[in-house]
Amino acid sequence: MAIIEVKDLGKTYGEGNAIVTALNSVNLAIEKGQFVAVMGPSGCGKSTLLHLIGGLDRPTTGSVSIDGKDIFKMKDEELTELRRRKMGFVFQFFNLIPVLSAVENAALPLILDGIKPEAAQARAAEWLERNQMGDRLTHRPDQLSGGQQQRVAIARAIVSEPLMLLADEPTGNLDSRSSDEIASLLRQAVTDWGRTILIVTHDPRIAAYADRIVFLKDGKVVDDTLLDGGKAENTRMLKEKVDLL
Amino acid sequence: MSVRYTLLGLLTQQPRYGYELRAAFIALAGGADAWEVKPAQIYTTLNRMTESGLVDKSSPEEDGRDEKVVFSITDSGRIELAHWLSQGSLDDPQQDEFFLKLMLSLELPNVDGSHLIQTQRSALFQELHRVTTLRTHLDPRTELARILLMDKAIMHLEADLRWLDMIESRLDEVQKQPLPRPEMHPRGRPQKHKLF
Repeated sequence: MAIIEVKDLGKTYGEGNAIVTALNSVNLAIEKGQFVAVMGPSGCGKSTLLHLIGGLDRPTTGSVSIDGKDIFKMKDEELTELRRRKMGFVFQFFNLIPVLSAVENAALPLILDGIKPEAAQARAAEWLERNQMGDRLTHRPDQLSGGQQQRVAIARAIVSEPLMLLADEPTGNLDSRSSDEIASLLRQAVTDWGRTILIVTHDPRIAAYADRIVFLKDGKVVDDTLLDGGKAENTRMLKEKVDLL
Repeated sequence: MSVRYTLLGLLTQQPRYGYELRAAFIALAGGADAWEVKPAQIYTTLNRMTESGLVDKSSPEEDGRDEKVVFSITDSGRIELAHWLSQGSLDDPQQDEFFLKLMLSLELPNVDGSHLIQTQRSALFQELHRVTTLRTHLDPRTELARILLMDKAIMHLEADLRWLDMIESRLDEVQKQPLPRPEMHPRGRPQKHKLF
């Protein structure tokens, strides 16, 4: 079953003459354990799509279902809890809390969920070790490189063992070597730790680590490619053959 | 050309049989996946170089078969090799199959340029995925040379993708320009056309 199901999703801003259509009737189904990249030119709607799937914004039309539940039919509290339990977010600018150490940052979601600090930090430390950050648990963000900060952010995103990770340009602020390492880490999160990942990126090198790429343009899906060969389901909507005569 | 000069390079180490040279060439070039060269091509190249005096043949056995011959490099061969090594090497970027498809799409009314571009983009991503996956299985402690070759392939694919983005953003403009017309030789046969 699709763990993320997007139906007829649309988002517009403004009114009357000044209407801007960010997303236009997008349909998408993501299976458990898939690593999906969303790509497209600036303004194509990819970040909007990610924010709507993460319940961080409300659509104008259509629906998003996570694990079978329509998230925009939920009450605010229910949606907040779903977000905290089932989703981990990774952003371009790391968004770590500057006054907390690596292990304190990574433990935060568990503490917010009511788990005692000691137990929370122990679990956070485990994930930081898996992310090659075991020797920097007490470092603060200003003592870490960009790549290291992003590893902490990923540990934080994964510490409550959510179903899925949603990442918005996670390597946008990193040099190419750190980018490769982060992409490799995300790949590991799918292959070894069984997460589902949806990542918005403009970097082809990072997208190459995914299983599938969804291409957006002007708020619509224009192609959906399985990287091991072939096309994904919803390309039935797209013209496949070149009509020569 | 690359094959001939690499064989000369290998011959400076020691004289060798043709089959040894082929095996050494393939190993050097990154394995049969990277550069498969047939025995016939090796022997043809070696024989041509013998005729040009770059390479010497030991006297063949009575049945005259190339496989029994030992090849060695001559002084002329060494000079040619040195000359090759002292110059830059540029691949030909012009003979691009996708470019031909794109130009056809301008001439044929039923071929959609945008569709062509997206098809190419998907194919490039599938290839990028394949090479990236291969690369992650290589051991940097023992296979660094092959990793470097993969890195080159990856960077070229990235460049191809960037070029595709550029074409896409300017497709409208290109479609409005007059189509390239063949230059006609006075006798009515088109001349060879070089872009630059």
